[in-house]
Amino acid sequence: MRDFFKSNTFKVFLSTVFVVIVLSVFTNSIESNILSSTVNSVTYPLSKVTAATNKDKDGRSIEELIAENEKLKEENAELRNQLVNYYDTLTENTRLWKFYDLKKENPNYTIVPSIVLRRDSNDEFYSCTLDKGTTSDVSVGDPVVSQNGLVGWVSEVDLHTCKVITVLSPQTSVGAIDNKTSDTGIVSGSAKYCDKGQTTFAKLSAKHKVKKGHIITTTGISGLYPKGLIVGEVVDVCYDTYNTSYYAVIEPYDDIKTIKELAIITEYTGQGEVLINAKSGKK
Amino acid sequence: MKNVKVFRYLAYAIEILLLFVLGSTPSLLPTIYGATPCLLLALSLTIAVFEPPVESMIFGIACGVLTDLGFSNSIGTFTIGLAIVCFALGFCANNFISANFLNVMITAVVVVSALLSIHFVFAILIKGYDDASSYFVNHYISRIVQTILCTAVLYFVNNFIFSTLNEER
Repeated sequence: MRDFFKSNTFKVFLSTVFVVIVLSVFTNSIESNILSSTVNSVTYPLSKVTAATNKDKDGRSIEELIAENEKLKEENAELRNQLVNYYDTLTENTRLWKFYDLKKENPNYTIVPSIVLRRDSNDEFYSCTLDKGTTSDVSVGDPVVSQNGLVGWVSEVDLHTCKVITVLSPQTSVGAIDNKTSDTGIVSGSAKYCDKGQTTFAKLSAKHKVKKGHIITTTGISGLYPKGLIVGEVVDVCYDTYNTSYYAVIEPYDDIKTIKELAIITEYTGQGEVLINAKSGKK
Repeated sequence: MKNVKVFRYLAYAIEILLLFVLGSTPSLLPTIYGATPCLLLALSLTIAVFEPPVESMIFGIACGVLTDLGFSNSIGTFTIGLAIVCFALGFCANNFISANFLNVMITAVVVVSALLSIHFVFAILIKGYDDASSYFVNHYISRIVQTILCTAVLYFVNNFIFSTLNEER
């Protein structure tokens, strides 16, 4: 055993562990590093293929898919007869049209449609990797949306991919407002609710009027998110005995845990500007 | 003789790549109690019991880097942990213990529980998330159990690779 500690094998082991620890410190201290960029670039084509092939699978058997396909074919034929004049519309890409609608409603948005490449099994808050990076003008902090509202924000970005932290994560902190009562608060994820695909609307005042069914949207005050993005609908209002404050439980309109098609807002009016009049209520 | 070794290592490399893609493809693996198994963690342990210490450590680092990078853009717990564990396991398997199913499973129970618990401490506990214990109960225990079960399957796969592509055969 004493010989082993003097052997070359043990020296190689110690040297390697030292290098790994140094690399660990190095990669933790910078936002984007060559190691992760290289791995992401190398695995990008493979991830793209597997994400594409897996796009429509929901764990159903081939027989079920064939039966559904037949049913859809019949429905499609029926619709074709009914909507003869709308052939062109039928052939449009549904996903792009949805985001086109978002763009039409908000002409100041620059929207980059993308698909989810990866969801890592280790992450507790359902973060994901999208197939767009700096080559598509994506940068850290950009809001990520679906056609139904806010999904999260870009936390890390490299050439071809970016990582998204969802609104289910406690790392997210979004200024939000109840559209009906004008109560303001902070949308942030919670361990208690993230498994149910829900997030919280916290820091509500003691006299708040938030109720079940109210819709919560972003305030846009911080300049980090555009104003008026829908976050979700209030499903419950609770009292936090630890923080001695009220909070509402919000359910986003999308199932964030499984969503596969998203869009990144790379540019919008008011981006990065803090509304200095916010305190006086002038938005 | 050397060619056989090269082919065996190539088979391990392909296994690593396949399991990385399998683990990171959205909605491919079913989620049981909020978690999916750490396939690369299981794979590195089953490689280490058949290979010499330094080679085991290299495969451990490869699996650790991919596991860590899947989680965040930096290397950490799994890379360092698997480098040490795989080297130790490779050394023990070559000198003290035999690479049989029982030993692999006992090792897997200890190592997987320890590494995922350490990961829980760094990824959840230290960050001060509320209800951290519910994560451990609802996610990590399920992940530990699933990873141990995957280790059993991967042991037989790597046992087959090792016995088929072995220069002493």
